[in-house]
Amino acid sequence: MTITPTTTDDDLLRRMRAGQADAFAALYRCHQGPVYRFALLRCGVAGTAADIVQECFMGLLGGRFAFDPLRGTLQHFLFGVARILILKHEAARRREAPLPAFAEDEDEAAEPACEAAGPLARVLADEAAEEVRRALARLAPHYRDAIILYEMHDLSYLEIAAVCQVDIGTVRSRLARGRAALAHYLRAHAGAA
Amino acid sequence: MEPDTLPEPELDARLAALRVAGSRLDTPRCVEKELMQAFAARFPPRPPWYRRMNLAEWGAAGACATITVAVLASLLAPPAPYAGFASHTPLVRFENGGAFIALDSFERIEQEPDPHIVETELPRTMLATLGLPVAPERAGEPVRADMLVAADGELLALRLSAID
Repeated sequence: MTITPTTTDDDLLRRMRAGQADAFAALYRCHQGPVYRFALLRCGVAGTAADIVQECFMGLLGGRFAFDPLRGTLQHFLFGVARILILKHEAARRREAPLPAFAEDEDEAAEPACEAAGPLARVLADEAAEEVRRALARLAPHYRDAIILYEMHDLSYLEIAAVCQVDIGTVRSRLARGRAALAHYLRAHAGAA
Repeated sequence: MEPDTLPEPELDARLAALRVAGSRLDTPRCVEKELMQAFAARFPPRPPWYRRMNLAEWGAAGACATITVAVLASLLAPPAPYAGFASHTPLVRFENGGAFIALDSFERIEQEPDPHIVETELPRTMLATLGLPVAPERAGEPVRADMLVAADGELLALRLSAID
């Protein structure tokens, strides 16, 4: 049986578990882009984002992450897995990093994504986009999650709540605060320039 | 005095720019390669069916095939002639409107030391079982027959007087 663009994720997963390499390749090609972009904007390092994508699909392949189609789409499930892996990665990095000297604002104290002009900055030739990425990287991770999923991937509040495992009210407030903080950073950057 | 935050429409435009710029980004190719290698290691290609069978299984399969062929051959083969007849002798000989039917080999008939003839009548339908033509309209009529019987009572041959 051939694989077409209309073949469902459930069908591809079933065939992947039956050992069909083309089904696994089709699943990967369909979902790697959004997951990678989410991970990249979330953690800010291209290498880490690639590792996260690889770990997501390795987990899917090995059955480490059990996807339940009744609880949402595979895409959103992968966002959730990527988010958890990023959190683990950040926790490990925090353990190795020296303690911060002082932090006035809780949101500011949260670990920012890499702001350096790395591969992502080189790829994002658009200056306006690069500014937003830098501002986004300064947001607290939980705001970043909500902003990226809502603004970049068109997830609904409910879907973001499922991915981030919080209630919908929290998503709403995080989005509002995240957008406000983002607008503030962008204005400050524009003022400084 | 300027507000300290970006207006909403401008923020939306900036986010849209990031979305467009980011839409071109994909995972590096090496990730797919590594994943496909992991997949191949998890699901190694299966050898063709004929390589998956060991010698004992091949032997069993061969025996099954032989038995099947033998059974089919025995079922599909035409029925063997009556064992008592020699293959080179005629079973039925027609003469003067009658018929001589050997029910045993001619050697056996010739060697019989004390044969005797018994006159009888047979149902005409029995001729059909001996391979002789029977007119349907006369199927119910009997036919006169001389039976050649061995000393031990074994039936050796039949002579039918008129079968037309």
